[in-house]
Amino acid sequence: MSSAATGYFRPGSSWLHRRNPVTKLLGLLWALLAGFLLAPAVLALLAVLVVIAAATSGLLAGLVRSLRIPALLVASILVVNALFFPGAKEVLVGFGPLAVTREGLSFGLVSAARLLVAFMASILFLFTTLADDLLEALIARGASHRIAFVILSAVQLVPRLQDRAAAILEAQQARGLSVGGSLGTRLRALLPLVGPILLGSLIDVRERTFALEARAFGARPGRTAYRTVADPPVDRWLRIAELAGIVAVVVAALTGVPG
Amino acid sequence: MTSEDAASGETTGETTGETTAAGGGMTTEDAATAPARTASGGGPPLLAIDRLGVRYPGRREPALEEITLALAAGELVGVAGRTGAGKSTLALAAAGFIPRVVHARLSGSVRVDSVTTATARASDLAGRVGIVFSTPANQLSASKLTVREELAFGLENLGVPREAMDERIDEVLDHLGIAHLAEREPFALSGGEQQRVAIASIVAMGTDVVVLDEPTAQLDPGGTRAVGELLRRLAADGRAVLCAEHAPTILGLTGRCLVLEAGREVALDRPATALGSAVLGPLGLRPPTILRLAERAGVAAEEAFDEETVAAALARWAARDLDRPGWTPVAGPGGSPDSGGPGIGDGGPSPATGTGPGIGDGAEVRPAPPEPALRPWRPVRRQPPVSVEVRGLVHRYSGGIEAVRGVDLTVGAGEAVAIVGQNGSGKTTLAKHLNGLLRPASGAVLIGGREIAGDPVSVVARTVGFVFQNPDDQLFNRSVEREVMFGPRNLDLDERTIADLVDQALELTGLAEVRAVNPYDLGLSTRKLVALASVLAMDPAVLILDEPTTGQDGPGVERIGAIVDALRRAGRTVIAISHDMEFVAEQFPRVVVMREGRVIDDGPPGTVFAPERVALLASTGLVPPPAARIGARLGLGATPTERALLAALRAGGR
Repeated sequence: MSSAATGYFRPGSSWLHRRNPVTKLLGLLWALLAGFLLAPAVLALLAVLVVIAAATSGLLAGLVRSLRIPALLVASILVVNALFFPGAKEVLVGFGPLAVTREGLSFGLVSAARLLVAFMASILFLFTTLADDLLEALIARGASHRIAFVILSAVQLVPRLQDRAAAILEAQQARGLSVGGSLGTRLRALLPLVGPILLGSLIDVRERTFALEARAFGARPGRTAYRTVADPPVDRWLRIAELAGIVAVVVAALTGVPG
Repeated sequence: MTSEDAASGETTGETTGETTAAGGGMTTEDAATAPARTASGGGPPLLAIDRLGVRYPGRREPALEEITLALAAGELVGVAGRTGAGKSTLALAAAGFIPRVVHARLSGSVRVDSVTTATARASDLAGRVGIVFSTPANQLSASKLTVREELAFGLENLGVPREAMDERIDEVLDHLGIAHLAEREPFALSGGEQQRVAIASIVAMGTDVVVLDEPTAQLDPGGTRAVGELLRRLAADGRAVLCAEHAPTILGLTGRCLVLEAGREVALDRPATALGSAVLGPLGLRPPTILRLAERAGVAAEEAFDEETVAAALARWAARDLDRPGWTPVAGPGGSPDSGGPGIGDGGPSPATGTGPGIGDGAEVRPAPPEPALRPWRPVRRQPPVSVEVRGLVHRYSGGIEAVRGVDLTVGAGEAVAIVGQNGSGKTTLAKHLNGLLRPASGAVLIGGREIAGDPVSVVARTVGFVFQNPDDQLFNRSVEREVMFGPRNLDLDERTIADLVDQALELTGLAEVRAVNPYDLGLSTRKLVALASVLAMDPAVLILDEPTTGQDGPGVERIGAIVDALRRAGRTVIAISHDMEFVAEQFPRVVVMREGRVIDDGPPGTVFAPERVALLASTGLVPPPAARIGARLGLGATPTERALLAALRAGGR
């Protein structure tokens, strides 16, 4: 299990690792906006881009393996929409009271694809970016310490939740909860876990906030840096391009130009 | 006894003009013998708490009332009292976290270096006061890859120039004796090391006032001693150190000790007096063992924490007094347990639950004090006693680290065994094999003579109950009762049997009163009892307890001891992992010692804690319990408990 400090980070020196964290963050933001705001056809292009980025950084295998994380959610989005899309008219296949509708299926497919692209882009960002570098880079660019902390927490959240979920799952099994077997059993097993995971992470956030407070995080302006985060010259141009891309996506979405 | 003397004592060396207010509210303390309330050193106090009152939003009772305390440079002051008495609240207020970070109404004042915390901004307090809490991993920034960077984090926030950082970091690490940790990853350190790094991180910021809230609650005895040494050094350097604690090892090091009960001061005195039976007895609390022995032998309060003096005095006392008629071996546990009238057991309120129940250990509702008579466990499910056997067990975590390196261990049916060893010696990893949560890389686990290799955890759980160290990993229902019902429901029992089991588990843990309460409205130590009850209610033939006494006050430890006793009498097999050597020596006839994934000793407490094994114990971060240490000084052989020590004294005195 990874430590909280490293999370999903996979040490390496690929071209993606060498980018400044803010460059990668802007790239991620662009991909998320494009994926969710523009026409579904853009998703295919984004998926290809993410896969190329992963392959050229030697992370394709890791990316594919990580897809099991959202697998259950993607499957349920597909099934629920295909069967229960409200106001759907055109039935493709019917099973007794249930029917797969065209509207439901296409909506489910698009939603699932958006989720997958967003997940892949995010995980690639986490694979190649050390949380602490991100924090330093954000503060170096003048981000407020609160925003930097929120982003840092978000980056560290998933691995923390996973660790907690694993611990709680163990505790439930130790009280006789059966977690193997069919999908139904698994879903039923999942329910008791949600509460302690959320409550536990709230406690966690509180304690960590205290720890940062005790170390005067954000108490004074003029923060200095012990470690400098690399910012190669090319990153500057990349960021300008990304900002332009973000503006273009937003304008396109607002004016209804299809992507 | 009024506090005139104490009030007048306050004028000495005070320049900040808060002197007159302090006298009024205090009537309980023994002003005649108390050291001056004011900081003993010259000059203004570094930390001045004046008539402090704290009330959390939505709570009727204040968490603290009329607390006055001043710490000068060079002072180490302890804060003691049962769970919920207000220790954590005092720590939060002293560090300026109340009201700036934790919302609560504050009356009176807290001043750090003459800065009033109620109106101070974060930047005013930064570098003046720091605080460390009890969960080691949460004390660090969680994003740093080396201890050096962890220390640099505070310096960055203060705006220290980059060029000056390394020198300052090295100086602090070196001075605090942890220079060898500089390049290590903070998360790979032991709990004791993490706490020392957390303290160093605060000290590196130039902080004059260091506040700690039960810093050793989760540490092994070696780690506790190391933290104690560190605190002494901080004080010797001219800092003011305020430490809320249960551990006598730490409290004995302090110059003065403040005892709280229901948010009010009951004593502020040198630790041997403040923690003596005259103060704690009426509260239904027991003094630490060393003090009980010191009082018995008539050692003066200044020397009552000194083992050598106490040992010598005991020897004289044994020669003189033991043969007198009317001598009783040992007072029963709990002092006067039925003295817990209304008010005493209610504890102070915790920080509002809306802000999360994490750190404040205070609970709105607390379990009733332990019953004087031992409550038996009445087995409901018909199960014969079950043995546990481990054969050649090896466990490797992913990454190749061998946490268990070939353990053979047989625990007989109905036997009670304690497993001890330093943090990271493989105790929990070994225990998690006993119910199948972990599977061995090689070797086998047999429960009741049958190998469990192919059985799912949920099936093994019918026989083997496991109570985790962290209750928050297992509590998820909205009431204590539903929580406790979860386990037995998984056993396919009928409703009446389930109700019976739930009632019994709640009775034994003292939680019957709070059965309708949400577990997260209870303090951490009470949540641990809920977790224990939730496993007890399954009436398992084998019960595994991982650090059951962590964070418990005296009555809490006694209650858990009584539960272990009750289960043993009912023929249940009990295996407990613990850092609390006194608890181990008192409750378990057999102790297994682990180091680096192997069993290095196994025997009754009298053997394992015998003088000739001290070096072996130390090699895995352990220290024998106080009675054994005193017995060793007197050459009495194996005296793991107070009872054994007194018996040996009597035998020797004749």
